[in-house]
Amino acid sequence: MAVTGGTFLALLPELVATGFLIVVLMVGVFADRSMGLVASLAALGSLAVFGSVAVLLIIGFSGSFFGGGFVVDSFALYFKLIVAGSAFFAILAAARWSGYTGDAGEYLALILAVVLGSILLVSMRDLFGLFLAIELATIPSYAMVAFDRSRRESAEGGMKYLITGVIASSVLLYGIVLIYGVSGSAELADVARTFSADLTPVAVLGLVLLVSGFAFKVSAAPFHFWTPDAYQGAPTSAAAFLSVAPKAAFFAILLRVLLEGMPEAAPTWTAVMAFLAILSMFVGNLFALRQRNVRRMLAYSSVAHSGYILAAFAALQGQALQTAFEAILIYSAAYAVMNLGAFLVVDLVGEETKSFNGLIKTSPAVALSMLVFMASLVGIPPLSGFFGKLWIIIAGVQSGSLEVYVVVGAVVLNSVLSVPYYFGIVRNMLFEEPTGPVTAKDGSGALRFSVYALALATALFGLLIIPLSTLARTSGLL
Amino acid sequence: MITTITILIPLLGAILILLLPDEARLVRYAALGVSAMPLLLATYIYFAFGDNLDAAALSQDVTWIESLNVGYRVGLDGLGFGMFYLTALLTLIAVVASWDVGVNLKQYFAILFVAELGMLGVFAAQDLIMFYVFFEITLIPMYLLVGIWGDENRRQAAIRFFIYTFLGSTVMLAGFLAFGILAGSYSMEALNAGGGLSRTAQIAVAAPILFGLLIKVPAVPLHGWLLAVYVSSPTSTNVVLSGILPKLGTYGLIRIAIPLLPEGVEPFLPYLAILGVVNVLYGSFVAFLQPDLKALVAYSSIGTLGFILLGAASGNAVGLNGAVFQQVSHGLYSALLFILVGVIATRTGTRRISELGGLAARMPWAGGLLALGALAAMGLPGLAVFVSEFMSIMGGYEAFPVQGVLAALGIILSAMYLLYMLARVIFGPIERPAYEGVRDAGPVEMAAVVPLAVLLLVLGIFPALLVNVQQPAVEAVLSAIGGS
Repeated sequence: MAVTGGTFLALLPELVATGFLIVVLMVGVFADRSMGLVASLAALGSLAVFGSVAVLLIIGFSGSFFGGGFVVDSFALYFKLIVAGSAFFAILAAARWSGYTGDAGEYLALILAVVLGSILLVSMRDLFGLFLAIELATIPSYAMVAFDRSRRESAEGGMKYLITGVIASSVLLYGIVLIYGVSGSAELADVARTFSADLTPVAVLGLVLLVSGFAFKVSAAPFHFWTPDAYQGAPTSAAAFLSVAPKAAFFAILLRVLLEGMPEAAPTWTAVMAFLAILSMFVGNLFALRQRNVRRMLAYSSVAHSGYILAAFAALQGQALQTAFEAILIYSAAYAVMNLGAFLVVDLVGEETKSFNGLIKTSPAVALSMLVFMASLVGIPPLSGFFGKLWIIIAGVQSGSLEVYVVVGAVVLNSVLSVPYYFGIVRNMLFEEPTGPVTAKDGSGALRFSVYALALATALFGLLIIPLSTLARTSGLL
Repeated sequence: MITTITILIPLLGAILILLLPDEARLVRYAALGVSAMPLLLATYIYFAFGDNLDAAALSQDVTWIESLNVGYRVGLDGLGFGMFYLTALLTLIAVVASWDVGVNLKQYFAILFVAELGMLGVFAAQDLIMFYVFFEITLIPMYLLVGIWGDENRRQAAIRFFIYTFLGSTVMLAGFLAFGILAGSYSMEALNAGGGLSRTAQIAVAAPILFGLLIKVPAVPLHGWLLAVYVSSPTSTNVVLSGILPKLGTYGLIRIAIPLLPEGVEPFLPYLAILGVVNVLYGSFVAFLQPDLKALVAYSSIGTLGFILLGAASGNAVGLNGAVFQQVSHGLYSALLFILVGVIATRTGTRRISELGGLAARMPWAGGLLALGALAAMGLPGLAVFVSEFMSIMGGYEAFPVQGVLAALGIILSAMYLLYMLARVIFGPIERPAYEGVRDAGPVEMAAVVPLAVLLLVLGIFPALLVNVQQPAVEAVLSAIGGS
């Protein structure tokens, strides 16, 4: 099944990421005056990772390596594409950020480090390797959040994120250790053998701790409280990137652990997921309604969207298994384009809701893009968010389980509940008069390009969905 | 293919308009040209395929999302064609009637055309998901049209409209998806007559679909969004808002709920008929109390929508034909009235009925046409609304005698408030000296209303022009529900 001697090829994206990470860090030290060069290198790096993943996908490369601990399949490659693609836009957005004090190289290298951790993570089939990859993806992200030295919120957000993140990691690790203790192995295939339908209390505890650790990482309620502070404090490009790329990777690996490591225990973990999903949706949306700061609003919105994705996890049962699986893949891609776009607009315009007043008059193209992102986050067809919800609702209906019907009902209700705050921004942009002379900052061309490109991807997701749905259907975990 | 082209022209037109220089005259002419094209194509379709709408040239079936078995499936049939045509016509009329849209004209037309794309798509969709997608594509454009160009209450009105109808359509989507999953397809053709679902399953699926559609109509207890939106909108948005948008709901009822879920809808039919009667009576009663001319027309519009519900619920040939026909005649008369209200309001500076009076003397054309519209609304024989209301009531009476009689009562009520309105507004002595100098409707305004008046007359005298087109499709619905 594997290409002989394919280990190098299997690790190609990771090697490329490491190479560019080192180069960007070194060039950053020597050329801190020429930010353009460093940023171009970093952007090139993310594109190279994207390209190498795409090549592996096109040649149909798959296999498992290092004694089965590292696996390359189209499932992993799918998420690696999302991570690398998001990184590209985040780097473009960060390219001419004004918050640097001669350390652009470090910031951009941190992004690449998160990329490296995230793409490693989605290939892990061993619980300890998984933990290391998670740490590789999150430790640089603490630094990214705290990177803006000119604002106190940044340090505060970074600190909160660090402390809760470390606790989450320990909870996760404790879960892993318990699972290891029960099954005598950290490999998912072995874990699957011991996680049968009726679980021992220790196994249940391990599972719950593992899921709780992940819930922290993906900011699902009730483990979400770090999110608003971290996203508000972080440089916007960091918030944008962290809210989509590592999060997609966390969801992916959680999906792999649950499906490959404990398929028999599905009744237990789908129930946990249903609980987390409903709580996240309501908490996210209800708190988002009260926000005046757009970044905090988007932070709560990301909690709600984690809830939607967890709803698909809850539907991973019975008839719906395949569709729910696809739903998680589709939603991750759909969410990446729209949420990244929304955050980048905030970067361009400002974080107060009133800075959006009359944006249609001062910068119509940006306002139009934001309209696309907001409508997509609500789930209006034919934008990307609609397709995510479409798959989730279908999966929920297919599952034939009452508990999942309740979750789907909550998805429908929450879509409506989210309209006022997303369209509050739209109202300010379109129906109000501009408050200042120019509301959209000049911004760099690269940032504007990212916004427009993402708006286009969100708007034309109906075309992207054709290859994506094929890819999702054939991407092997099941 | 022709259908797809007709649907897509507005989108291309929207892009074209946005690229034009900001010059009002040029933009208006360009918008006129863009909106004329779908109408020309629809007219061509009528004459070339009027008796054979199943023709392969009109339909398209391309797989879109393979794993979900969702396809881009469009085509025309007798149930949708009348509204398809009316959408093209009323968009053109809305462009002509856009005189009170002063600012951001380009954007206004571009958004209007995106809405047109969605509306044309709804009446041509042959797949549940496509229906939903087109249905929802209209949402944001209408929200923007009201929210940007409406009067001082527009923000509240726009968001309320958005939330109400989005709630309805999302619930409807859940129903569609459940239906599609149980039956294994989203193609309306495959789903005909229940798609193999049991009666219980059909009822479970029909309930959310009906809920969503009835919010869109709106059927009376669900009409909370309507008044503010209608009253806040500029005239040309009213044309689309009252002429076409409610029909997205009624058309869904006639095209999807009834023939695709016959057994599921069946237990709801008596209640649907009751809702129809409630619409008729409530609309008429409340219209009586309106001090504002536009609000009166809005409630009158809600009232006459009730006949569509009644006719659709009847489940017999006469009633269904009446319901399908009423969609078109309602669109014609309500657009006519809204435009004339707009004309009167711009001339006199007020919409309050108590402040108006004697306008016929100074505005013979506008006044005369307002009278025509009002007479149409009260179902005067010889005008299109009479034909469809009469058929709806006949059909309704056959199935539900009590509801039929009560609905007929509604006609008398509507005659009362409409005649009262006419007497106050256009007849009698001139109310204020200021009105001595008001000018009659100008050529542009006449161009917007005369086609509607002519069609009301033509369809009133030769209803066969439309009935013949819709007859085969109505028969198909009847065979799906197993009625007569």
